[in-house]
Amino acid sequence: MPSSQLLAVMDAAVDAVILMDQTGRIQAVNGAGERMFGWPPGELAGRNVGVLMPEAARGAHDGYIARYLQTGVSRIIGIGRELQAQRRDGRAFPAFVSVGRVAGAEPPQFVGFIRDTTAQHEHIADVQHEARRSVDRLMNVSRMATMGEMAAGIAHELNQPLTAIANYARASERFLAMPEPELDEVREAVREIAGEALRAGAIIRRLRELVRGGEEARENTPVARLVEELRLLTLADARMHGVSIRFDLHADAPEVFVHPTQIMQALLNLIRNALESTAGDAAGRREVLVRSRRNDAGDCEIEVCDNGPGVAPEILDRMFDPFLTTKQKGTGLGLPMSRTIAEAHGGSLRHEPVEPRGARFILTLPAAGNVA
Amino acid sequence: MKEKPPVVFIVDDDAGVRSSIRLLLRSVGIAATPLASAAEFLAAFDASQPGCLVLDIRMPSMSGMELQQQLNLRGAIIPVIFITGHGDVPMAVEAMQHGAFDFLQKPFRDQDLIDRIQKALARDRDNRTALLKHDGIRASLESLTPREKEVLELLTQGMQNKVMAAKLGLSQRTVEIHRAHVMEKMGASSVAQLVRMVLDTRDV
Repeated sequence: MPSSQLLAVMDAAVDAVILMDQTGRIQAVNGAGERMFGWPPGELAGRNVGVLMPEAARGAHDGYIARYLQTGVSRIIGIGRELQAQRRDGRAFPAFVSVGRVAGAEPPQFVGFIRDTTAQHEHIADVQHEARRSVDRLMNVSRMATMGEMAAGIAHELNQPLTAIANYARASERFLAMPEPELDEVREAVREIAGEALRAGAIIRRLRELVRGGEEARENTPVARLVEELRLLTLADARMHGVSIRFDLHADAPEVFVHPTQIMQALLNLIRNALESTAGDAAGRREVLVRSRRNDAGDCEIEVCDNGPGVAPEILDRMFDPFLTTKQKGTGLGLPMSRTIAEAHGGSLRHEPVEPRGARFILTLPAAGNVA
Repeated sequence: MKEKPPVVFIVDDDAGVRSSIRLLLRSVGIAATPLASAAEFLAAFDASQPGCLVLDIRMPSMSGMELQQQLNLRGAIIPVIFITGHGDVPMAVEAMQHGAFDFLQKPFRDQDLIDRIQKALARDRDNRTALLKHDGIRASLESLTPREKEVLELLTQGMQNKVMAAKLGLSQRTVEIHRAHVMEKMGASSVAQLVRMVLDTRDV
């Protein structure tokens, strides 16, 4: 039994202080400990320290002291770690536990210091939640900025079917006004009008899907579908930049478990960078290739490759840093955002130079079955 | 040389736009050849083919502006009507500075396009006639002997036969014979007409 002076010191502590023997039997506990674990005064003494932890952790704990005494290798003694503790009423709470051996005591004696970390955890959760919301907001800003930049291309793309529809309709009018109306031509024109109207609708639908974003859940998605969704929008953008864009979507690319719009956003950033970087080159050499395939690990790789001037050597190390931009009106968020999205999905985004000229960005996403 | 009928070339990478223009022109009896890229047009380009070119200003690979440059380098005279989107006006202005015939913003009124095409075809016809005429005059000029060329030069300066004879060290009779040859070879019925011809070729 500890001296009354020691007990007084223990009682003055804010944290729980528990004195135990080498079998884990509690010899003394301070008032803070009894309150923290919800035990009436005096009832903990004599019990095994295992009653202070959830059942699942008890077995492991029994071994700790014995193993320490046998091997001298410490899991917790002298170190301190974050553990789940349990109150008498069964409620678990996170606690920081450090255990020390009492020097000179024979048989060996151990003292444990336990701090309830519930408040810290709540604070961390708040911070994480806030961080996630900030990322969401940034993603929205980045998405809206992209939309703004793409607006001209999209307007142009919508103008195409509208122009065609107007032409077909006027031609039909003229064919019908002839003394002997050319009905075959009119039939062809009407069929084309319907097709062009659907095409305009498809452009708008794709755009809405991309703008919506954010709220959707992760789902199993074939990568080809994501790229396919982007095809119309990027074609518009490619035309604006006078660049030809090719899609090479391998059927063997596995499904991925993703937030579809986030991945589309990441890809769109990469594709737009590629288009912009090649736009200044001479005619006939401006090309962007988007390829998806299964890599050796069975995961999905989406590659955006251009034959532009490539990434300048002086920014190779920093291109994924936020707010670094080489564009006149860039936000500097495109690449870091794309990498954040890739990593949030358990994937990665990396850059490789292309010989003799150009840049390749490779977005890797774990196959749906490989997601941890 | 037999005159070929004019053709309207439509170069637009958008299948809907180019085939709708083709159908529109067909409805007013104008023959058109739709092409999907600037490269296709260049590959099939025949300087002697009369017609005009309806050209999308924005295209992948080679833009309409770049095709115009290529045509200018080749000394092509085919009139070019640019089709532009919204916000392409600065580009269109540049194209006009490089000799474009006109430009239209998408979507356009059908009659506007038809009117411009008809004007462009008329311009092309005039250009080709003028060129043929020039070519004829040049050929006639080539057929003159060095002495006849001297006489022509002095004639167009309005010099009298007598003065010319003294200046060239010839008899007045010989100058008259040269002069008759010049008039005949050039197919001119008066000195005034002869002067016009020579000035025409110098303008171009």
